[in-house]
Amino acid sequence: MRSVIFIFLSLGLSSCFRGQMRPLHALNDSLFQAASSYREPSLGKRWLVTLTNRQGKEKIELIDLRNRRKIALPGINRPDSQPISVSVSANGDRLAFVRQRADQTELLIYRRNFGTLQKLEISPRGIPRRVSLDASGKVLAVQVSRQGRWDVDVIRLTGS
Amino acid sequence: MPYKQLKNFVLIIGCLGLCSCIAKVDRLQGSLLNGSQKDPALSANGEKLALIVDQNGRPTVQLRDLRNGKILPLRYLRRHQPHSSPSLSWNGRYIAVIAQRGNRRLAIVEDRLTGRIHQLVVPGERIPIRLSLAPDGSKLALQVAEQGQWKIQLFDLTHKIELDQPSGVLRTTVSD
Repeated sequence: MRSVIFIFLSLGLSSCFRGQMRPLHALNDSLFQAASSYREPSLGKRWLVTLTNRQGKEKIELIDLRNRRKIALPGINRPDSQPISVSVSANGDRLAFVRQRADQTELLIYRRNFGTLQKLEISPRGIPRRVSLDASGKVLAVQVSRQGRWDVDVIRLTGS
Repeated sequence: MPYKQLKNFVLIIGCLGLCSCIAKVDRLQGSLLNGSQKDPALSANGEKLALIVDQNGRPTVQLRDLRNGKILPLRYLRRHQPHSSPSLSWNGRYIAVIAQRGNRRLAIVEDRLTGRIHQLVVPGERIPIRLSLAPDGSKLALQVAEQGQWKIQLFDLTHKIELDQPSGVLRTTVSD
């Protein structure tokens, strides 16, 4: 009888452990500094993009998870703008983000290979808040404020 | 380069630049009827969209097929509201969301192929805020609030789920 109870307990415990998602401790410890704040994660195949706040300044950071390195994003972070939301394509080549600059809230696409920024107009006019990119980086879903309510627009980039 | 040729060259480059800016905007069907729509998340293949809508005043995740505009049924994620921060795998086989169970916020991943769910209760005083699923479903990035700061933790899902690869075919999804 005792051995039957033991078997049941063992099975129960093993199914509990099997049910846990395992934290990637080594990766987490090496990527994230205790003094900094991180939000709005977006994962690509081997990429993680976040909004990182260090000493009160928030910026977009792209990390290559394969070698745990930060990737330079020239021209994307400006001292006069505040990033709000960011999303990365599967291969890490394109980033879509929303930023506040002066009294403007802008939706932009950054092409890492060319180092170019492209501003996307919202039509009908609205204020972008949150963005999600597909794997190719050519389809965007954007949460937009219009006349006091939230809409979702799907934007397909053609000819690019 | 003579001035005229240079002018033509600049004009061509300008035209190419304009062409690359062309964007076609689709507003979500039914957006005028359904009230507030927030937190959009595309599947990596660009065919499915998860978003948060108000359902009887409760923020609830909704999954749409962008090819035909249909709302796809979810088995488990019809409850445990309020939902926030949905995320989809490559073909939309997996949908992850932050949900409520009792007095706790937790991350839930629903497998639309098998109907199975995977839950992640964050230990301690940390509260999950946002999440992102890797395109193949191998990893989950979770933003948590901890002692007034936002942190991100990465979790490995490879031992729990079959990867959702770009070439993957959903044979018998509960929704198709």
